[in-house]
Amino acid sequence: MERRDFLKFGVLTGATATLTACEKPVQQLVRFVPEEDFVPGVATWKPSLCTLCPAGCGVTVRIMDGEAEVVRNGQRGILKMGLAKKLEGNARHPVNRGKLCARGQAGLQVTYHPDRVSGPLKRSSSRGSGDFQEIGWPEALSEVVTKLAELRSQQQADSIRFVTGEMRGHRRELINQFLASLGAPAAVQFAPLDEPVLRRANVLAFGRAAMPSFDLERANYVISFGADFLGTWNSPVAQSIGYGEMRRGRPGNRGKFVQVEQRMSQTGANADEWVPSSPGSEGLLALGLAHVIVKEGLRSNPTEINSSREVEEKLKDETYSPTQIATRTGISANRIERLAREMAAHPPSIAVIGGTPLAQTNGLFNALAVNLLNMVLGSIGSPGGMFFAPGASTVKEASSANQSVDFVAQVLSGGLENAEVLFLDNTNPVFAMPPSWQVSQKMKRTPFIVSFGRFMDETSVLADLILPDHSPLESWLDDVPESGTSEAVFTLAAPAMRPLHNTRAMPDVLLEIAHSLGGSVSEALPWKTFEEMLQASYRELARAERCHPTDGFEKFWGRMLEQGGWWDGQCQIHSPESPALEFQAPEFVPPRFDGSEQEFPFYFQPYVAEAFLDGSLAHLPWMQELPDALSTVMWGSWLELNPKTAEKLQIQQGDLIQVRSRHGSLETPAVLNPAIAFDVVAMPMGQGHAQFGRYAAQRGANPMSVVAPLQVEQVGSLAWAATRVSLSRTGRKGRLSLASGALYEQEKELELR
Amino acid sequence: MSHCWGMAVDLDRCTGCGACVIACQAENNVPTVGEEAAQKSRTMHWIRIERYYEGEFPNPRVRFRPVLCQQCDNAPCEPVCPTYASYHTSEGLNGQVYNRCIGTRYCANACPYTVRTFNFFNPVWDKPLHLQLNPEVSVRQIGVMEKCTFCIQRIKASEIQAKAENRALREGEPVPACVQSCPPKALVFGDLNDPDSEVSRLARSPRGAKLLSELGTQPKITYLQRDSWDGPNS
Repeated sequence: MERRDFLKFGVLTGATATLTACEKPVQQLVRFVPEEDFVPGVATWKPSLCTLCPAGCGVTVRIMDGEAEVVRNGQRGILKMGLAKKLEGNARHPVNRGKLCARGQAGLQVTYHPDRVSGPLKRSSSRGSGDFQEIGWPEALSEVVTKLAELRSQQQADSIRFVTGEMRGHRRELINQFLASLGAPAAVQFAPLDEPVLRRANVLAFGRAAMPSFDLERANYVISFGADFLGTWNSPVAQSIGYGEMRRGRPGNRGKFVQVEQRMSQTGANADEWVPSSPGSEGLLALGLAHVIVKEGLRSNPTEINSSREVEEKLKDETYSPTQIATRTGISANRIERLAREMAAHPPSIAVIGGTPLAQTNGLFNALAVNLLNMVLGSIGSPGGMFFAPGASTVKEASSANQSVDFVAQVLSGGLENAEVLFLDNTNPVFAMPPSWQVSQKMKRTPFIVSFGRFMDETSVLADLILPDHSPLESWLDDVPESGTSEAVFTLAAPAMRPLHNTRAMPDVLLEIAHSLGGSVSEALPWKTFEEMLQASYRELARAERCHPTDGFEKFWGRMLEQGGWWDGQCQIHSPESPALEFQAPEFVPPRFDGSEQEFPFYFQPYVAEAFLDGSLAHLPWMQELPDALSTVMWGSWLELNPKTAEKLQIQQGDLIQVRSRHGSLETPAVLNPAIAFDVVAMPMGQGHAQFGRYAAQRGANPMSVVAPLQVEQVGSLAWAATRVSLSRTGRKGRLSLASGALYEQEKELELR
Repeated sequence: MSHCWGMAVDLDRCTGCGACVIACQAENNVPTVGEEAAQKSRTMHWIRIERYYEGEFPNPRVRFRPVLCQQCDNAPCEPVCPTYASYHTSEGLNGQVYNRCIGTRYCANACPYTVRTFNFFNPVWDKPLHLQLNPEVSVRQIGVMEKCTFCIQRIKASEIQAKAENRALREGEPVPACVQSCPPKALVFGDLNDPDSEVSRLARSPRGAKLLSELGTQPKITYLQRDSWDGPNS
């Protein structure tokens, strides 16, 4: 860095020298565009990776020169540096092919958020009070090292807990190697959207714990059971690209799309046919469809499995006949028969399941039934069907091994209380778990909590020490996308810009702690930086995979950084690798609901908000002001109910409603929605943060505060759609910011459809 | 030959996801206004997704419609401006000169599409959010009307680049931010003067219609109506 690049603020003699010195000795030419190379006003584009949801889209970052106020060695100054200006999809990335969703683009605001934790903090009064004092990195790290060394000397390393959010690639590898070297148990993940139910069903049916991918581009018929696959679920950008092609990419052949759900989602709004089956009956409906197809001999391209005959016989059973299931599903026998014949007559067809059907107590049954429907439709591993992205990486297998259910089990079994030290990274269970699980109270009893949080959220506020991580754009990132692609993909990205604050990359902090501990721990983690670890690991990978670089690893590595990863274009669609296909016709399990129908007349369905997902994006102002696709609400939360229901209860749009379950109550304004069942009310997740920066804190209500602690049978994850509630008027108006006041269009404008 | 920039919006592809809304906000330094102003409908988005229900439960339908400046050939916003801040560019766009604008808001009143937004306050970016601002787009101040420009900065950059390389603009160049981001490729942008361009092809589609065409504004955006399914080869 040149002296001229550093413009002083006040009296900072010699500050340039300290600034340079505190940077790690890294390969500047690879990591950043050197400042000297910037032409004012001319943008450079650098590949990166979106980490905001599990889809793992490739990103390009528009970098232009600018002057940022930064903190280096406790001193504030203005630094001329490359600044990220816009995020777009990486055109070469196989998952999102140049496209990026609204949330991904708003990822820019994570880096520039005014309420980022800008340096290490230490708790200064009682736990949860939110009082912290700034401390330096050396003191902060030595506290952690002392604590860990003490536990190791007392043979108590097994009381160390590490909880992470959705975490993939080598970050997770590093955490687990770090924990293994200490003799501590492996990290557990807590990410509310990590789909443990579907994974379990896929293990049982396909021997794969992975999320499925869909070849929508070539499909002629898609039926989705509750999955918001164009909005928030699985790999929404990849699926939206495929959807566009399914509709208009093949002249003369427009695929049909049917959505089964009780509250119309953004995805359901695009369906040709919308089927409101009763809550928790989705699996039964899928078996009814399979019954008709098998019984009438309509299978055109059956997926051959060992137990085919047995399963078919069972499916032919009268229990699954349309007349038998019509009452339970609320869908007429004629309609079930017609749908079944339609989808069988127009292959390739795909069945998808996600969202509320998986969040019922019988979620596993629903998922298994839809897997079976796919088998009957012959869509598994065939063009225009469902498949699994090539599981090329050893990294991936490790990360899908322990899911949020393990953390739920820990919380419920008291495993959390036995922890001496708790590390938290990128996870917010206090916000996302129902209050009756008392995760906050349990965490308060843990003697020592370290959070790597970038923001002060409901969970980080309980920590003793906050060691803030760099933002994703300031970090080394890698990932193996789990779905949304038929190619083997490794996404890799160098930091797109220098850090703004006195933060440190979490992997580098772990390495530093390991080296301070010395001995076997240090030996197990020989890398100086995370970057070194990545290089070492990808060197191994380059040998193991089909990507043998003929011109040496250095060139291969350079190419990876330049295009944002490595992918194998020749690799064709893979069918499930180990086609164990242990299909059995699942037995129908009725859903259970918390609360009696008399006292609590409405099914309460929280749903993943387009703008906030599980709430992890509620701190971004662009997301707060993005009108919700269906309700058009901004900056708040709301409860959706049918206008007829509202009329009966004398509720008007905007009235503040009290929602009460057996486990709690909340208040939120009513929004009328003609596309929701009469006995269902729905509420977006993500608002109602007590902490989380100025744009999210004390805004709206968190639906989790009324959710009953029911679990999905045989899986153990939270059945967040299994609560019944009652509604009452408060007599007050709620705060509601609507982008559009009208539900229906005026006659005059209707000519445009 | 001069260009005539136009757009096609395929409503059969649009999923209402809102990627275009944020893309535009990021590219064009469109501020957020906060809850209080949002309640008064003072949000500044240059592109919005209209949502209309049809029918009732159990047979409801929803239609999404992205609405942005229609870049009318016969634009009602232009003749009403006393300071010529709203004017017609040589490439057929409805330009807005921020420096000339004195905030009469006549143009917003005249616009039947309500796509013009007015700066009731000076925009605020809590530091360091101001670092996200695109240096190629000016930040508008209090009292100034603003609107979609079809990302004029991108159009100009492409034209300058093509000129420097001594060639004509290629198909797919330039691309406004909304079009760039759209996952299902519902938005298509291009030169209407080139009969072979994708946008010209779509503008001739039998599914095509103009928004409020009876007003005679002659918009340069064609909406392709959503289709229905009657069989595999409909």
